[in-house]
Amino acid sequence: MSGAASDSGHNGIFTPFNLIAGVILLGGAIILSIRFTTGLAATTNLSNTNPWGLWIGFDVMAGVALAAGGFVISSAVFLFGMKEYQPVVRPALLTGFLGYSLVVIGLLADLGRPWRLPYPFIKQAGPTSPLFEVSLCVALYLTVLFIETTPAIFEWLGLKWWRRLVGQLTVVLTIFGLMLSTMHQSTLGAMFMVTPTKLHPLWYSSQIPVQFFISAIAAGISMIIIEGWVSHRAFHHQVQITDDEFRDINYGLAKGGAVVLATYLAVKLVALSIENEWRLLGTGWGAWYLVELIGCVVVPCILFAVAHRERRLGLARVAAALTVIGVVLNRFNVSFIAFNYQVPHEMRYTPAWTEVWVTVSLITLGVVVFRWFASRMPIMYDHPDYPALH
Amino acid sequence: MSMSRRGFLGSLAAGAGALSAGAADATTTEHFEGYPGRYGLLHDTTLCVGCRSCEVACAEVNALPKPPQPIGDLDVFDEVRRTSATAFTVVNQYRDGDGVEPPVYRKLQCMHCNEPCCATVCLVHAFTKTPEGPILYDPEVCIGCRYCIMACPYYALAYEYDNPIDPRVMRCTMCYPRIKEGLNPGCADACPAGAITFGRREDLIEVARDRIRKFPDRYINHVFGEYEFGGTSWLMLAGIPFRELDLHEGVTHESLPAIGTSYLSVVPLIVTIYPGLLAGFYAFTKRKDKLAKAELEAALAEARARGEEEMKAKLSQAAERATKDKERAVQTAVTKALAEKAEGGQS
Amino acid sequence: MYHTLFDFLTHTEGTTYILIGVLLISFIPFWRFLTERESED
Repeated sequence: MSGAASDSGHNGIFTPFNLIAGVILLGGAIILSIRFTTGLAATTNLSNTNPWGLWIGFDVMAGVALAAGGFVISSAVFLFGMKEYQPVVRPALLTGFLGYSLVVIGLLADLGRPWRLPYPFIKQAGPTSPLFEVSLCVALYLTVLFIETTPAIFEWLGLKWWRRLVGQLTVVLTIFGLMLSTMHQSTLGAMFMVTPTKLHPLWYSSQIPVQFFISAIAAGISMIIIEGWVSHRAFHHQVQITDDEFRDINYGLAKGGAVVLATYLAVKLVALSIENEWRLLGTGWGAWYLVELIGCVVVPCILFAVAHRERRLGLARVAAALTVIGVVLNRFNVSFIAFNYQVPHEMRYTPAWTEVWVTVSLITLGVVVFRWFASRMPIMYDHPDYPALH
Repeated sequence: MSMSRRGFLGSLAAGAGALSAGAADATTTEHFEGYPGRYGLLHDTTLCVGCRSCEVACAEVNALPKPPQPIGDLDVFDEVRRTSATAFTVVNQYRDGDGVEPPVYRKLQCMHCNEPCCATVCLVHAFTKTPEGPILYDPEVCIGCRYCIMACPYYALAYEYDNPIDPRVMRCTMCYPRIKEGLNPGCADACPAGAITFGRREDLIEVARDRIRKFPDRYINHVFGEYEFGGTSWLMLAGIPFRELDLHEGVTHESLPAIGTSYLSVVPLIVTIYPGLLAGFYAFTKRKDKLAKAELEAALAEARARGEEEMKAKLSQAAERATKDKERAVQTAVTKALAEKAEGGQS
Repeated sequence: MYHTLFDFLTHTEGTTYILIGVLLISFIPFWRFLTERESED
């Protein structure tokens, strides 16, 4: 990615990256304008059998998990005192804020009547619904993430009084954010507990909420590694920590990733045992399940552990990529691959190219906005006027 | 009567109180019977001849377009159809006639469950289970998230995906306006074969059991919908296994909403426990930092003190040495002076 | 009187949401009351 070439802002807007991003975003905008003028049928493969597709499976389900780095690292630094990770707090929080914003945008594209998004809170509430709890928590957490992003903005704008005010809120916001994240990451999984006849038994479990929460932590840690991989190079001239410090942070994250993935593996095995589902592993679906479990949980767990032990950054990055793929794959399985597994083949769902394009547009938008923030504001470095910690 | 009148009445009142379980007394261990005297429909698939008159009547009553496949078009049974945004009900053929046994058909529509998934998962409470039995949908609050469609185990709900302005969830309403007027649902009136009977659910269960008793060779000994996933308003009789009719056999009597909301009790726990717990972690971290800082300062102070002492010792040693040197120098000078004086005196 | 689990849950979940909101907000003054006299080094 040649972000570094364009973050100075002045030398030409027409870099290769910008051109490609522009085309993607333009296409996405066109598709969405068709969606909003003619309905969902024109731009999606959704049906009455498959009311949820890629926009829910990726933009909402996977998106929320991938944006989990914010609460993980801020809790580590501000609640558990792991100050050595302080340099990656701001990038992680920005990724979180942008990630959740994209979740909301993706949701607005998918809802039948997106202008009614606030209805559960202003018109009529359905408190029995897990989705009610998710929407409440996501709305509150997006607010938390926004406030946690403002220190960098206030430093950039020189608003010292505001900067001090939001700085004092750090611990409270971190506690609130960890609490909200625990709830909505879990409940996104709990949403599927009402469909035991539709979700394949290997993925359906009374423990899906716990599985979703733990895998979200793994996804968050991995995204910090991946985002750091890219931004550290793209914004190298801004970075103040030494290469050794940067590597040590990554090795520490790898250690965390290894432990979380090992825990996740254990939780999944217990779920199989409790439901007595071992024999299902011998079926076709079982093979697919093992691909997800072994390829994207066991393997990255081992890679993370070796990366930490042997101090090998490349291995940590491969493990992070596998973990992210695994969490995305898991969310896809739960929402439309292993969901409706009994439905006849001709009625199964595959995403339309327009759905894929819009999803890629949202990701591109996130990258572009991240770059805009990081090239102007103290995200990858500490502002000289302000101490490192609040 | 061995009990006094007051005692009998008293125990009556207590019993009634336990049965009615007023708002304040209800708990999650209670079994909910549903609204008493509510309506249902009995669909006897052994009587259904696949004429699809019910489809036509339903479209008429609900101002929907007529089924595109006309009655009498037998090709329509080549595929298994589902309800759609323009068809609240469809009839499918699940077994061909083989000359001896007649073909088997079943009518699909919203089952109007006793404990509806759609209502439970709706985040704006757009669905209501009425005392009369039908489940109603309110498009005025619906935001179009389609969780209801995703959750329905009978695939009974449909959505107006081609509508960008006011898309609605489309489903059978059990002809609620007609029921309120004392009429039958459109499909029940239209069926010429008597395969659809409308009445009070509890009565229909008796009717169904009665039929099974009278014709044990004709029917599978089971009334589908009496208890499955908490029970439904549409009850089914069949001569072939229900599994072959695309209905889930042998499932729990516990309602899907009960299963699907069991997790929600964790949410308040997190809200009530996390603040104290996490504030505790933060205080613990601050305390560790404070202790570490204090230890560091103590070590520094000690080092400083030791350093000072060493410095003092060195200084006093140097001073001593300096004094000794000075004394020696003075001594040498005095000795030298005395020696010179002695030499000078001799010459 | 609740005839269905749905009606029961609508009432209890709704009440519970409001309750935990109040409890959460009141934790903050409670915590401040508890810790405001701690001496800072």
